[in-house]
Amino acid sequence: MKIVGILLILLFCFESKSNINFNAKSTTLENGLKLIVVENSRAPVVAQMMWYNFGSNIEQRGKSGLAHFMEHLMFKGTKKYPKSYFSDYISKIGGSENAFTSYDYTAYYQIFPKQHVEKIIELEADRMKNLTLTQKNVEIEKKVILEERFQRIESDPSAQLDESMRTVLFPNDYYGRPIIGWKHEIENLSFDNVMEFYKENYNPSNAILVLSGDIKFKNAKKLVNKYYKFIKPGKKLNLKKLNNPDLKTSTNVELRNENVKQQIWKRIYRTKSYNESITKAIALDLGMKILAGGTSSLLYEEFVNKKKLFSMVGGFFQGLTKGNGYIYFYAIPNKKIEQNEISELLDKFIAQAIEKGVTEEKLILEKKKYYYDSIYGMDGILKPAEIIGEALTIGLTINDIENWNYKLDEINLEMVKKELKEFSKNYNFVTGNLRN
Amino acid sequence: MKLIFLFFLLIFKNLEAFEYQNLKTKSGIEFWFVEDKSIPIVSVSFSFKGGSSIDTSDKNGISNLMTSLLDEGTRNLTSDQFKNEMKMKGMKLSFSTQKDKIDGVFQIISSQAKEGFELFYEAVNHPSFNEVDIERVKRQLISSIKIDESDLSTLASNKFNYHFFKDHVFSKNIKGSIDSIKNITKFDLVDFHKRSIARNNLIIGVAGNVNVSQIKKYIELVFGELKNNKEIHSIQKFKSLSIGEKIFEMKTPQTSVLFGHPGLERKNENFFALRIANYILGGGGFQSRLYKNIREKKGLVYSIYSYLLSYENDGVIVGGFQTRNMSVFETIQNVKKEWKKIYSRGITKQELDNAKAYFNGSFTRNFTSTLSIARLLQVVQYYDLGANYFSKREKIINSLDLEKVNNVIAKYFSNEKLFFMIVGQPES
Repeated sequence: MKIVGILLILLFCFESKSNINFNAKSTTLENGLKLIVVENSRAPVVAQMMWYNFGSNIEQRGKSGLAHFMEHLMFKGTKKYPKSYFSDYISKIGGSENAFTSYDYTAYYQIFPKQHVEKIIELEADRMKNLTLTQKNVEIEKKVILEERFQRIESDPSAQLDESMRTVLFPNDYYGRPIIGWKHEIENLSFDNVMEFYKENYNPSNAILVLSGDIKFKNAKKLVNKYYKFIKPGKKLNLKKLNNPDLKTSTNVELRNENVKQQIWKRIYRTKSYNESITKAIALDLGMKILAGGTSSLLYEEFVNKKKLFSMVGGFFQGLTKGNGYIYFYAIPNKKIEQNEISELLDKFIAQAIEKGVTEEKLILEKKKYYYDSIYGMDGILKPAEIIGEALTIGLTINDIENWNYKLDEINLEMVKKELKEFSKNYNFVTGNLRN
Repeated sequence: MKLIFLFFLLIFKNLEAFEYQNLKTKSGIEFWFVEDKSIPIVSVSFSFKGGSSIDTSDKNGISNLMTSLLDEGTRNLTSDQFKNEMKMKGMKLSFSTQKDKIDGVFQIISSQAKEGFELFYEAVNHPSFNEVDIERVKRQLISSIKIDESDLSTLASNKFNYHFFKDHVFSKNIKGSIDSIKNITKFDLVDFHKRSIARNNLIIGVAGNVNVSQIKKYIELVFGELKNNKEIHSIQKFKSLSIGEKIFEMKTPQTSVLFGHPGLERKNENFFALRIANYILGGGGFQSRLYKNIREKKGLVYSIYSYLLSYENDGVIVGGFQTRNMSVFETIQNVKKEWKKIYSRGITKQELDNAKAYFNGSFTRNFTSTLSIARLLQVVQYYDLGANYFSKREKIINSLDLEKVNNVIAKYFSNEKLFFMIVGQPES
């Protein structure tokens, strides 16, 4: 039961002329439920992930935190399997489980010995429609969620700064609202709000079920059909895309807190997403890796190794989003430096680095790493379910995932530079500073 | 166009069929190995006994600084070149210092195994320890210590170790202090590397797509040149753990509380009984008494847990939660109540049966990736659980009856031995 900002920064990617894929099999039930199966019988274990293609994005104004609240309440039991029956069952069979809510999706998962697969499928299907919530459940869980907010945000100055920066960057849509919700709005969420949200959105037509591990597609299809076919399709979400206005002002946000012992500089940009163009997004991602990824990036080389101004500096692109993607940068100075001075240093260097530092050689290296990471992503059973579930909920297709390599093949240095230049001229950003 | 299809074959049908090989290299290095052809990856999990517990006394943090430098270049390659080589080969290498050991993970794409293991050899045997890299990593560690001091839960954890373990070596911060780090020289690091990266402290588990004769050669290459160290890295028993409460005041809306209690060493015959007791009291999942009674029924916390920290010669039970300043003492009272309840009344037959079923069922989850298999092989050797542990484990669990477990609980649990570290602004 947690909140994710970025689940998979790195989707996965391939080297020229070779292809690795999940060999995923899929079908759609009449009620709209999508089923994806990744067969992998190396160990007698199955991972089930239920992905709903909505998160905090569908909350009405004034009801922030409702999707995440609902996620917590999904563990409270049904008429047939009351109270903590589901969780107790998972424990008893030696399984593990959790759930998470993001802006664009909500997901529930269990990993368990394969002989229990039918029962686990039944239990997940059962709680899609049959929750029996009480006023008391809602009131107590609200206290838990407020403690969660206090733990994650109010006692963490760095998280407060991030929250504040996002409100500036996304003034007109849900990316500017915290997933967990504002404190004053969580306090006002009611039993009726929750029930309405549940009935309206928890439907087969908004759901994608991924099974990964020691289960055959044929058997999975039979079992899923058995437990879901009687559930009515429900109302399919029809999301209207909201855009944010271009920012005409430069905005510096600063958070001062006496407990902060180390200054941190941050910046977030609004960018494109994989939904707009997979090829362009991969090019941007590769470019960002060369510029700011890890401890051999151009930024690291310049400011950590050469100039010795920062102990760390880096950044990444996250574009697995329904709406805008974003780019995040941070710098940790060795000595106190003014926020504007850091901004100027980085702006100047990035403009130069895109011209001179982004080379064919570095691109080849990052492409290789992408390819190898895709192999590592297959060593396990939960990871494939995560990659597929996240991609599908934000609007990509199985084909997009399985054929990622062809897109990668198209990318050359020119395209990478073009994407980087475009982002470096982007004025939709906000700069943050954390200090005492 | 080349197509690589991954066929995941059934390898570990059940636990009885789980077979590993106990191998020995030419110069006599022993390691446990599982060949797994389902994916083109080789994973090595290894550790060296010692860790921060053998830090030189005025150079706290030296083990952590040393391990942080092991992927920062070799005698032939600068830090940058080394990192690029790793990317080129699809190699992953990381080291981390723990209180009682140095843990390491190496992974390589099978087709690059030879070059990968050669790089691995260079990193382990010939790290460069260049002044410029030492200075950079020192600056990074100093920043990270400052960030830890600003972070409520990390600060609470460091305060807890300091006060709970008192004069024991475990009271020290693994990262050391800003002053102690500044004090460490290149000479110290070279010397500490010899002391800690030693043959007789080494434990290795391997899983993945490589055959027996190859992996024996690779392990010999990487570790074969290491010398024995005469020092015996044995960790003292915890003679005087703190009890009661300690408060550290800090202006924050929520208070972080960590608690500790004596436990058992991993090899103790009662270890599994205690593990079951802890699972029921505050262990994983959403089923524990602490979770159900303090989170689910009362809504006092978002997260509350306890776990066993078991070492070679001794162990402790550690737990924690965060709650708003006004409910700190109420939550502590509830933890004490659950503690008292378990040792005065024990656990029920139903709880015992559920816990046994959990531990029997959860073990197969270790077999889902090459890395988790390699880790398991390494850990079983580290704690010297025996060559037959995989077949023995289920018997150990099933032999525990209610009387046995409740006797162990009555013997070891006590409210008198609990210690609470409170960091924040608790309101009474």
